[in-house]
Amino acid sequence: MFNPENLILKGLPKGHIKDRVVRSLMAGLTYAIVLIAALLFGKIIVDGAPVLFKAQAPFVDFEFLTAKNETLHVFDDAQGTRHQLPASAYSDYIKKHEGTPIFNETTYSYSGGGIAGPIVGTILLTVGSMILALFFGVCAAIYLSEYAKQSPFIHAVRLAILNLAGIPSIVFGLFGFSVFVLAVPVITATPSDRSLLCVPLFINDYVMSFQGWNSSLMAGCATLACMILPVIITASEESLRAVPQGFRDASLALGATRWQTIRKCVIPFSLSGILTSSLLAITRVAGETAPIMFTAAVAAKDDLPWQGLKSPFDLLSSQVQALPYHIYTLAARIPSSEYTQRAQYGSVFVFLVIVAFLSLGSMILRSKLRSKLKW
Amino acid sequence: MPNEEIPENQAAHRFKKRGFSFESAIRYFFASNAGLTIVILTLIIVFLLKEGLGFFPGYRRELEVYRIAGLEFVDISRKNLTDHEQLTSVLNRAYYAEINGKCGRELLRSQEANALFNAYTDQTSSTRDLVLNNTQAGENKESKILAALGTNFAKQKAKALKSLPATPHLSDRERHDLIESIRIRSLESTEDPALVTALAEEFSNAQQKQAESLIGMRATIDAFDAAGAELSMLVSEMTEMVTATKEKIQDADILEKDRKTLLAAASSAKDAVEREKLTAEALASLADKPDVEGPIKKLLERRPQCSDAHRALQKSVEPLAAQLPESLSQPEASRLLSAARQTFPVFITNLEKTLPAIRDWNDKAPVELTAAIGSFLTGKDWVTGGEWQDFYGILPLAAGSLMISIVALVLAIPSGIGAAVYVNQFASNREQSLIKPVIEFIQAIPSVVLGFIGILVFGSVLRDLSTWDSLSWIPGFPIEERLNIFTAGCLLALMSIPTIFSLAEDALNNVPSAYAEASEALGASRVQTTFRVIIPAAFSGILAAVLLGFGRVIGETMVVLLVAGNRIKIPDFTSGLGSFLQPSHTLTGIIAQELGEVPLGSVHYRALFVVGILLFAVVLTINATAHRFVNKMKR
Repeated sequence: MFNPENLILKGLPKGHIKDRVVRSLMAGLTYAIVLIAALLFGKIIVDGAPVLFKAQAPFVDFEFLTAKNETLHVFDDAQGTRHQLPASAYSDYIKKHEGTPIFNETTYSYSGGGIAGPIVGTILLTVGSMILALFFGVCAAIYLSEYAKQSPFIHAVRLAILNLAGIPSIVFGLFGFSVFVLAVPVITATPSDRSLLCVPLFINDYVMSFQGWNSSLMAGCATLACMILPVIITASEESLRAVPQGFRDASLALGATRWQTIRKCVIPFSLSGILTSSLLAITRVAGETAPIMFTAAVAAKDDLPWQGLKSPFDLLSSQVQALPYHIYTLAARIPSSEYTQRAQYGSVFVFLVIVAFLSLGSMILRSKLRSKLKW
Repeated sequence: MPNEEIPENQAAHRFKKRGFSFESAIRYFFASNAGLTIVILTLIIVFLLKEGLGFFPGYRRELEVYRIAGLEFVDISRKNLTDHEQLTSVLNRAYYAEINGKCGRELLRSQEANALFNAYTDQTSSTRDLVLNNTQAGENKESKILAALGTNFAKQKAKALKSLPATPHLSDRERHDLIESIRIRSLESTEDPALVTALAEEFSNAQQKQAESLIGMRATIDAFDAAGAELSMLVSEMTEMVTATKEKIQDADILEKDRKTLLAAASSAKDAVEREKLTAEALASLADKPDVEGPIKKLLERRPQCSDAHRALQKSVEPLAAQLPESLSQPEASRLLSAARQTFPVFITNLEKTLPAIRDWNDKAPVELTAAIGSFLTGKDWVTGGEWQDFYGILPLAAGSLMISIVALVLAIPSGIGAAVYVNQFASNREQSLIKPVIEFIQAIPSVVLGFIGILVFGSVLRDLSTWDSLSWIPGFPIEERLNIFTAGCLLALMSIPTIFSLAEDALNNVPSAYAEASEALGASRVQTTFRVIIPAAFSGILAAVLLGFGRVIGETMVVLLVAGNRIKIPDFTSGLGSFLQPSHTLTGIIAQELGEVPLGSVHYRALFVVGILLFAVVLTINATAHRFVNKMKR
């Protein structure tokens, strides 16, 4: 006889053991991912932290962060002491000890000195592309959330955003190379041979020549901005929509125009949300290598970006070093040895610390925002 | 109704007179920014097509030159020659595997002694050379320097002697003697230590002894090797002929192009004098049409010779199977021998097919544009920058991309979805607040850092792991290349887990809680509810997550560029699952690697853009499908 009481008395469902097995299997999978991530970070921290930190005060090796990137020379002097000197210090040493021989000299490209150039280059690229992307992205988001109604144009814009978000970064690299490096117009007196089209401007000899900006900071910024634009638009639209409709209705009811409403009642309340989500976009921009490989980055550069410039415009039209490209160069182009490890793990560690700070910052800001903004 | 509209119309009226209000200006400003996304997408498509579409006519011309210069004719014979060489090398490897396997102990002993001695010389040779050079050259050198050099050498020597490799097959006595002989070794001595020579002799004696029983096999292999000599000579002669023709045609093409540029410049030149000058220049550079008929005729005169050589080769292969020993004692040698046996019939049928191919080959046959497209889409070779002929076949790259994605997805789908289900259904709040940030953090790791980890850490760890005896049952172990499809796939799995995880979790979250409540009210356990109710309800969302993860994996560049090994070859599928442990190249990697080096506007440059177009199309298709699933779920 089937007795319902039996069912209750049993207390636990029939598949109790199966339940636990499945559960722990899933937990195992999940914690395996966490463990792998922890191992990964651990390896980089263990190998990279000693480059940046030291036992004596002030505990941080600022030289690695502020020195230029140079070739590393490794050699023995006559006493058998091993020296590791970056190129500039090496030539000083040779001058000082003229006449005494050195032995077993080997050089390692990109491995000496610090990583000031790449850090500065990455900052410039990130700032430049974020300014562009935030301006255009937020404006587009305002249109989408405040003005747009159902129309073919909006449908096309949404489709374009969706598609842009999925395009692989290397295709953005190709796009940036063929458009910003080779095709966008510049105003010059001496158009290059490969110019696609020359439009005379009738001011002296100046023509508008569609010959591109070459591989330069601004080409890189523009490419990265195009890449990040859909992310910024989606995030901004979300935070604009999070502002309650009542705010807008109240403002409009008081006789404010649409633009006044947006300016005074929508943007101020969504600004923090926009900035928080753009922090995440920064981590993506700073970490991308493929789009800047052909549009902005250079493996070796003697000067920091602002040194030796004739005009501020030169800063925009010169190539820069970038941290992700520097890491790529260190990993792929030079053989790994005990002398290159400092540069390799140091760069990766610094890079990861920057990225970690950015994403941690965005996580914390987001949770704060969530608790603060409750309408 | 009309009454209500009047004030609004009046308010607008003031501005409408001016035609353009401030408000509408702002509205249009914002709208134009939104339109920017469409502009960018259009620009991407237009410029990819602009650079890419020129590829097919260019490639068609290259293939045409390949044919009319006679390179194609030579390649018919060359293919067989390469096969012959490969077959010979496999047979030789089988032969030596047999011999070396039989005297394995001697081989190991000799190798170990050699390795030990080499480890020592590697570390000390540069210092030693310095001492020697200075001693010989400098009678007037300061003794101080020489002394310094001497101590430096002594230090290096002491250091080197401390870090010598292990020698499990040498007795302690032998090892000790060897190290001692190195220690007392004079600086100038160039001879190998006595034990190294003795062991080498011991080994070669053993080899000779073993070789006696295999004399028959040796003779067969040698005869087979010799049979290819005639064809080889013929091919190298013909190669010289056709390369010369090809160069001529190419030079003429370049001149013709220059002439067109000059003429174009002439027609747009400002003053008449310059125009005439340019036109004259263009006419002067009018190239003679290169003579292709003569050389090709000479080439085709070799047809009978070529056929004869092939027939001779065929005759030498046919008895081979019977002449070779049935099996060999060493497993490695047997494997190689049976591999060679399997290729015999293929080789013979290839040779049979060659004869009509040589007879029917026609340099006049036109090369259509479809042939160029077909050769791009189904070509098995991506050869660039060679002296012979460039081929742009997409298959090796596509195969690499696909296999890496398979590895990545096989690893990432269960773990990503498993983690999503666990976090969403079973985990406590505290666990959630630990796991979610970690996974979000993985997403923030730049791909180049992952590639770096792969190249410096994970690859080596995997290779060391694969040499463990207890793991030798896994196909493909021990792995030959540190950087391969599997390594890249593992790292990409780690990269796509966050994507799959967060999207799948969203999908699970979106399942109405009433479903779960109803299921539990019916007495289902938590696991039953999850697997029978929630996951099926969220299925299309999960599928979209997987597809988007796939899109991410196939478009990823830096990890595969650094870690996939960059060998442009279709993996050898005969080794089964082991083919996942071979290096390969990818669609994304090839663009990143080669775009920086190619001349602008060349066929190669355009080929990379066509690869970009293909990638673009594939990823967009995947994403569109994924979004269709998402929309289905929302409904």
